Amino acid sequence: MATSMHLSRLRKWIVASPPIEFAISKLRDLLVGAIRQGPVPQHVAFVMDGNRRFARSHRIETVEGHNLGFEALARILEVCYRSGVKVVTIYAFSIENFKRSKFEVDALMEMARVKLGQLAQHGDILDRYGAQVRVLGRMDLLRPDVHAAFTKAVEMTSRNGNCILNICFPYTSRDEITSAVRDTVAEYSTPLQPVHASTGSIRSPFSESHIAHHIQAQSQSPPGPQAAPAEDTPSDIESASGSSTRSEDDRPSTPPGNVYEGTGSSFSSSTTLHLAEAKAAAAAEATNNNSNNTSGKFQSPETITSQTISDHLYTKGNPPLDLLIRTSGVERLSDFMLWQGNENTEIVFLDVMWPEFDLWHFLPVLLRWQRRISKQKVNPEAEGDFEGDSTPEQQQQQTPSSSDDVTSDDLLLHSDAKLKGL
Amino acid sequence: MVSQRDRDLFRDDIRSRGTKLSAAEREKILRPYLPDPADISRRPPQRRKKAPRKTPIRTFLKSQLHQFTYTLIHIFFGLYVRIVQAYHALVDRILAIVYYHHRTPELIRKDVKNLDRLPEHLSVVLSMRREDDALAILMDDVAELAAWCMSAGIPMLSVYEKSGILKSCIPPLHQTITNKLSSYYDSSRQPALQLFAPHHPIYNPSPDSERTQSSAPGSGSLTVLLLSATDGRETFVDLTKTLAEMSQNGKLSPEDITMELVDAEISEITTQPSQAAAPLSDDNNNEQASTGSPGVSMKPEPDLLLVFGSFLKLDGYPPWHIRLTEMFCTGDKSSNMSGYGEAVEYQGFIRGLWHYAGAQMRFGR
Repeated sequence: MATSMHLSRLRKWIVASPPIEFAISKLRDLLVGAIRQGPVPQHVAFVMDGNRRFARSHRIETVEGHNLGFEALARILEVCYRSGVKVVTIYAFSIENFKRSKFEVDALMEMARVKLGQLAQHGDILDRYGAQVRVLGRMDLLRPDVHAAFTKAVEMTSRNGNCILNICFPYTSRDEITSAVRDTVAEYSTPLQPVHASTGSIRSPFSESHIAHHIQAQSQSPPGPQAAPAEDTPSDIESASGSSTRSEDDRPSTPPGNVYEGTGSSFSSSTTLHLAEAKAAAAAEATNNNSNNTSGKFQSPETITSQTISDHLYTKGNPPLDLLIRTSGVERLSDFMLWQGNENTEIVFLDVMWPEFDLWHFLPVLLRWQRRISKQKVNPEAEGDFEGDSTPEQQQQQTPSSSDDVTSDDLLLHSDAKLKGL
Repeated sequence: MVSQRDRDLFRDDIRSRGTKLSAAEREKILRPYLPDPADISRRPPQRRKKAPRKTPIRTFLKSQLHQFTYTLIHIFFGLYVRIVQAYHALVDRILAIVYYHHRTPELIRKDVKNLDRLPEHLSVVLSMRREDDALAILMDDVAELAAWCMSAGIPMLSVYEKSGILKSCIPPLHQTITNKLSSYYDSSRQPALQLFAPHHPIYNPSPDSERTQSSAPGSGSLTVLLLSATDGRETFVDLTKTLAEMSQNGKLSPEDITMELVDAEISEITTQPSQAAAPLSDDNNNEQASTGSPGVSMKPEPDLLLVFGSFLKLDGYPPWHIRLTEMFCTGDKSSNMSGYGEAVEYQGFIRGLWHYAGAQMRFGR
């Protein structure tokens, strides 16, 4: 025990000695410069987990652990931005964390307020380095003074350059998704401007009533094709839903003029074909037009895509998440970046506490990512469609790879950590 | 990098004064340190702007050095990765020999007997391989997994496959699983099996016989849920569309959309398949569902997510329910960079369960 303490003190003394410190600093520069040469993830997210456990295991106060965690953050941000990462998202505080002891929550809040306050006091430096700070999450849950500090920092850096630091302060992903859905719905249920309504509401440039009249005239003149398929239908299916099925069957045999109508408004097409109902249909069409005009003040909900929802998330405009790193060996997302991280994100769980996290832990993850990406660039189909293109070479590659293959390549670091457990 | 001396000073400041300093004081303390990281963290754009004019040769040499280091690091890293992978593959083979299920539920049960906890709901990410009979392999994998889960006593299994091809062949899949189970269990104690997918009815061809058998001693029941990429983000898109429509018609205000509402709606798709499928399904299936087969109440959040791939990628997995799910990736021993085509093997499954229970791997039963 005593010897190990002395050893660690000796180690610390050596590391802290000026020449070694200089050498380590140069080595870091070199490594970061080397990382820049390859592909670099554009968006990296960190779950800064393990501050409390680190504090407990090193018998220091929890708040002290968080302070050390902040230092680790500063270190890793430096590495990220210098190696070319555009966006870093950090999970600093979960909405669930409000349930922790008041003392700790207050300390965290105070820390955030102080750090961001300090940030705001040195605007010139920030401007020079051009990082942009954004706060993601429910700012309304924060104390007013913390809220003010955050708003000020975000405000000050909003015009800065291309590097972005997203701080998820009271954040959970479910809350984010919910609010994205809510905002989307709110946007779609605000009526459009009347100027837009005139152009946007009517989907086709053709007048529907005009088309209806046209069909009416057309179907009155050639009654031939109308009668012939009507005889076919009874043989087809039962006559319970005959009227609709018949009109469905009619459509191919009707003159090409009807095609316009069919694309114009599909649901009324089945009725307009019947001679007797033609007038009623025209009337229905007229009311339909009216209703179209009233509801046409809204955007059509059918235009909502997953991109629409993504654009309403807090991370709108950021590049897709490439890498998600969680420290402390806990292998859960804990309500972080659920939406952003479910496509092509590589998720890495590291068995290291956040205050200890440094370039030396981050480097293997980055290297692995670079390996994978550069391999994908060489062999683009590897990531592509998995149903179609299967070349014999790939198959041959795969068959041995499922068994023990020494020339195999990629693996995750977290399983690496498991390796030590063996 | 901040020097040790500066860091100590910084820490002393925080420690001695706490965080309750006035703004001016704090600024005064921090001023000396701030240029320090500023000097070191030279911003690349600035550096690039100035450097070529001042020291073109030095910049050139530096970039060459970086390029060289990059290559060198990657050569050594590649070697390291391969060695580790070879080791993993070796361990994997040894485990495969030591732990083989021999299609006996008792052996599988013995393997998981000492674990502190078992997932109640296991979720598996599978991917289609490129071979011609990929679908057959996939179905066989699902069947094997179902049999292992059944033997280990995991009542719920959800299988995620991106393209959703499994959903289109539920009856043959059910047949495959039943055949597989009959090779694990003797015919007298065939466990009950329920197979369903979101927006599909529960497929359960002979409900009466299944139910009587499920009450037989020694056999459990298993619910298998099939998921695909459309149950992920697409579901949210559908929900948003519906909500937007309701809101446009004045039936709902955007403020009514809460996390609870979204949670209830999203969970309903996976927990209550019968209701979602009710208008579409025929009467027979409706009756089955409404009479309440035991497995209908599905726990929506999986406890453990097993990814059979070379690295951990969710690949479109439904995002809402994996909030607290533990994740485990089996593959780290193949050269397949795409993440597709990792074999579904028993030792991967059992390693995942060990990992979930926080147990160490042991060579030997």
